[in-house]
Amino acid sequence: MNETICALATPVGTGGISIIRISGEKSLEIAKQFFSCKNLDFENIKPRYLYYGNFNGKDFLDQVLCVYFKAPFSFTGEDVVEFQFHGGEYLASKILKEVLTKCRLSEPGEFTKRAFLNGKISLDEAQAVSDLIFAESDAEIKSANLLQKGFLNKKIKETQEQILNLLAEIEANLDYPDDFSENVLIDKSKKLAKDIKEKIEEILNNSANSKQIKNGINVAIVGKTNVGKSSLLNAILGENRAIVTDIEGTTRDVISERVLIDGYKVNFIDTAGIRESDDYVEKIGIKKSLEEIENADIILFVLDLSREIEKSELEVYEKIKNKPHIVVANKCDNKKNNLNFQKMIEISAKNDINIENLKKEIIKTIIYEKIDYSKIMLTNERQISILNNCLSLICEFLNKNLSLDLIAFEIKKIWKELGKITGDTEDEKIIDTIFSKFCLGK
Amino acid sequence: MEMEENFFDAVVIGAGHAGCEAALALSRLGKSVCLTTINLDAIAFLACNPSIGGTAKGHLVCEIDALGGEMGKNADETAIQMRMLNRGKGPAVHSLRAQVDKLEYHARMKRILEEQPNLKIKQVEIAEILTKDNKIIGVRTTQNEIFKCNTVVVATGVYLQSKIIIGEFEKQIGPNGFARAEELSASIEKLGHNLRRFKTGTPARINGLSINFENLEKQDGENNIQSFSFEHGQFNHNISPCYVTYTNLKTHEIIRNNLDRAPLYSGRIKSTGPRYCPSIEDKVVRFPDRERHQIFLEPEALSTHEIYIQGVSTSLPVDVQKKMYHSIEGLENADIMRYAYAIEYDAIDSTTLKASLESKIISGLFFAGQINGTSGYEEAAAQGLIAGINASLKLDEKEPLILGREQSYIGVLIDDLVTKGTNEPYRMMTSRAEFRLILRQDNADERLTKIGKEIGLVSEEKFKKFEKKCEKLEKIRKKTSILLKIDEKLKNLLKKLNENIPTSSIKICDLIKRNNVNIFDIKNEYPDIFDGDSDVLLDIINTEIKYEGYIKQQNDEIEKLKAKENTKIPENIDYNNVKSLRIEAVQKLSKIKPETIGAASRISGVSPADISVLMIYIKALTKNGK
Repeated sequence: MNETICALATPVGTGGISIIRISGEKSLEIAKQFFSCKNLDFENIKPRYLYYGNFNGKDFLDQVLCVYFKAPFSFTGEDVVEFQFHGGEYLASKILKEVLTKCRLSEPGEFTKRAFLNGKISLDEAQAVSDLIFAESDAEIKSANLLQKGFLNKKIKETQEQILNLLAEIEANLDYPDDFSENVLIDKSKKLAKDIKEKIEEILNNSANSKQIKNGINVAIVGKTNVGKSSLLNAILGENRAIVTDIEGTTRDVISERVLIDGYKVNFIDTAGIRESDDYVEKIGIKKSLEEIENADIILFVLDLSREIEKSELEVYEKIKNKPHIVVANKCDNKKNNLNFQKMIEISAKNDINIENLKKEIIKTIIYEKIDYSKIMLTNERQISILNNCLSLICEFLNKNLSLDLIAFEIKKIWKELGKITGDTEDEKIIDTIFSKFCLGK
Repeated sequence: MEMEENFFDAVVIGAGHAGCEAALALSRLGKSVCLTTINLDAIAFLACNPSIGGTAKGHLVCEIDALGGEMGKNADETAIQMRMLNRGKGPAVHSLRAQVDKLEYHARMKRILEEQPNLKIKQVEIAEILTKDNKIIGVRTTQNEIFKCNTVVVATGVYLQSKIIIGEFEKQIGPNGFARAEELSASIEKLGHNLRRFKTGTPARINGLSINFENLEKQDGENNIQSFSFEHGQFNHNISPCYVTYTNLKTHEIIRNNLDRAPLYSGRIKSTGPRYCPSIEDKVVRFPDRERHQIFLEPEALSTHEIYIQGVSTSLPVDVQKKMYHSIEGLENADIMRYAYAIEYDAIDSTTLKASLESKIISGLFFAGQINGTSGYEEAAAQGLIAGINASLKLDEKEPLILGREQSYIGVLIDDLVTKGTNEPYRMMTSRAEFRLILRQDNADERLTKIGKEIGLVSEEKFKKFEKKCEKLEKIRKKTSILLKIDEKLKNLLKKLNENIPTSSIKICDLIKRNNVNIFDIKNEYPDIFDGDSDVLLDIINTEIKYEGYIKQQNDEIEKLKAKENTKIPENIDYNNVKSLRIEAVQKLSKIKPETIGAASRISGVSPADISVLMIYIKALTKNGK
């Protein structure tokens, strides 16, 4: 028996259509709970037929397409249901969240793994999956290592540690009956559960409200008019979005583009050139640019290597130098003078020189200077879903009056769930803790 | 079949708790057996506590009984008091513990062995296990007598090259002054099983007449308590009390001042001792903040005044021991009859065994008990029983009996031993059983009696009794779906119990599921419904209902586990060929050679990702028909 799993089957944040795939024996049952369509009677649902109807979420309703693949005629060889809907992360995450109340999120490569185990794909493909499982877990380890420096892991580890200590105390009490009193432990468990509940709620709140996660990191491209800000944006985007001309002040409004770099959402904001101007429209643009500098998380300060640096540019530099920034020395292929700034990178936007390194530099700046690990708690849907699971486990636990053996069971479930974030789920840990903390035996 | 002299189906080496069960299982299954021991007076000898059971161990004893083993009966028959531990903590951890008469315990087991057909008992020392082409052909004694046989169960306990240590004093001798086994270690090592040194210890025994019990807390047993053996029903053995006392700061000071003379700290003892059963010097060093440690004074037997001092095992020298024991309340003038000692012995690495407890190297060679790195009489007996059963099945050319982790504590114990191994003497604990809520003492018979019957160790009579019990339980189960009307009677009851009053008629089982209601509340108010049903059975049903949601969750887990357990790993698999398996996983898997994916997933250092990769590889192998 395989658990039913689901995941977003299309890349995050890109594409016009998103697909959520559910696989496992409960797929149809889950679809039934959310999907309604005039012409559809679930008893007689037609496999491989696209139904147009409504996805009924807890507090929203949206039009989606629903298709059912009956086992074994599906990608995984199991019953599969897919929802297709308009792109955009917002809707995708809302739908996924609803579906996740009924089944669990798939592990990396899990759909493909099931496909192989059910004989749907070949050995070569399966080998690719093996590699994928490791590639993905490598990536996870990397990001976990990164987070280790930060607050999330520390906080979850702390929480896990607290639970572990309590659990060890309970287990010691169960296995070495003469040593302690159980009522104290029952009270302790409830208190700890409440504490943890608050902690998790805070983490979830922070993540939900985190501007950087929800909206991405704002990178403002700042510089005097005509240093090549728009070309730089285009070079990064790889397409012609902003209007690029040689006439000063072409970019009058703030143009913002979102790019996914190494999994980070980055919003590039192309500001109007900063200069004194009487042009009303342009004045508004410049005012906006200054606001953007204020609001930006990172500033790309663009200079022109083909000409002398101006005093006004140095003034602007003074304004931004205490914020996270990178000095982008453009037009390096037409270099006429040498600049010397800390954190400077020479590029040519027009001829695509050093753009990849610039991107890397941006990510580095995000990681080391911009991500506030004390506030940004969760970076992915999986972690959020784990913490939500924990919350419901804790609430369930707090509502019951249990004997100590059942308390141990509930508490261990919470500990194991948190372990999915920290990687600590080995039962042996509990036993080790019992022995290191308590004096037991004959 | 006529028994040829000196030819047996099986030889069991050692007549401790493992050896006795193994020999009885084999002979009861119709095999000719020779049980050898260095000293007949050491048969089923309780070398440490004069008690059987306790947390998790009580579960093991009930399981041994359900399968048709002897330990439960032996403990019931020789008990001088019994208590159910953990009464207040939920039925899953209720654990029966008996103080037994240590001399009677030995005597009764010896008698049972003597009376057992197909079984011969010999006081000899085995020097060598004889094999041909990696198969058992017999054993040789130190006096060069040869017993031919097809299977051997090694259950040597702590006797292999053992050494006792008391302070600066060391002696190459077995426990309690019994002789040790000199030669067998070398033979086992030659067969390919590496040996390592483990350590354990035992406290002093004191003449009870010299103890002042006056100010000590007395601990009596319980009357009318369910016995270990399902066949014995409720029992009354509340004959002899225990007493509780404590160490104090002075005791600790004496120990601290003499640590340089404690072999554990002077470096004299290098072997691995158990963390769960530390000596008093260990406790004092590791837990310096504790002002006192609890001590139980337990009677050794009815025919003697000797008292066992539970909680103060030590290997300190005798002059320090005297001072230390005398510093304890009630023991001020105590006459120490036997000094406490530590003992070192040879054990094998249990990961070299299959889940049947048969050696992975020598066909027909089984190991059970402390030699596998466990500690405790009950752990030993459980392994002895399984090794005996599997040796018999082997002789019959049948598949071995392998109990699952979801089925029994015995399954957990053996699976831990053969897949995880142990770096210290292994003690069973309820926390080791992930399906603890299902593996209760009260349902041990429901879990295992049928298996015991199929194997052939459970008699027709016992099985009928068991079936009758099941019928009775089923009747009670049915009764719990009776609908109760919401009348004044029920309203008053619920009010009294502080529970909400439902709007329409409610099933008894739905009432029992509530926090403050149990089956006895209902029985008291509606005596007609459960008329004639015993409290023991009602209690079982009460637990079933209360635990229902949890049991369902555990059952779901079990389903998942079973799928993994059913996926066998080919014996000749070369883990180096499994692409993308991490090196650590390759090493661990190659060393332990797990038999199933389930077992592989429990090896520490093997990640879920490794398991996925491994599953894909195995699937590919079978697909390609290799």
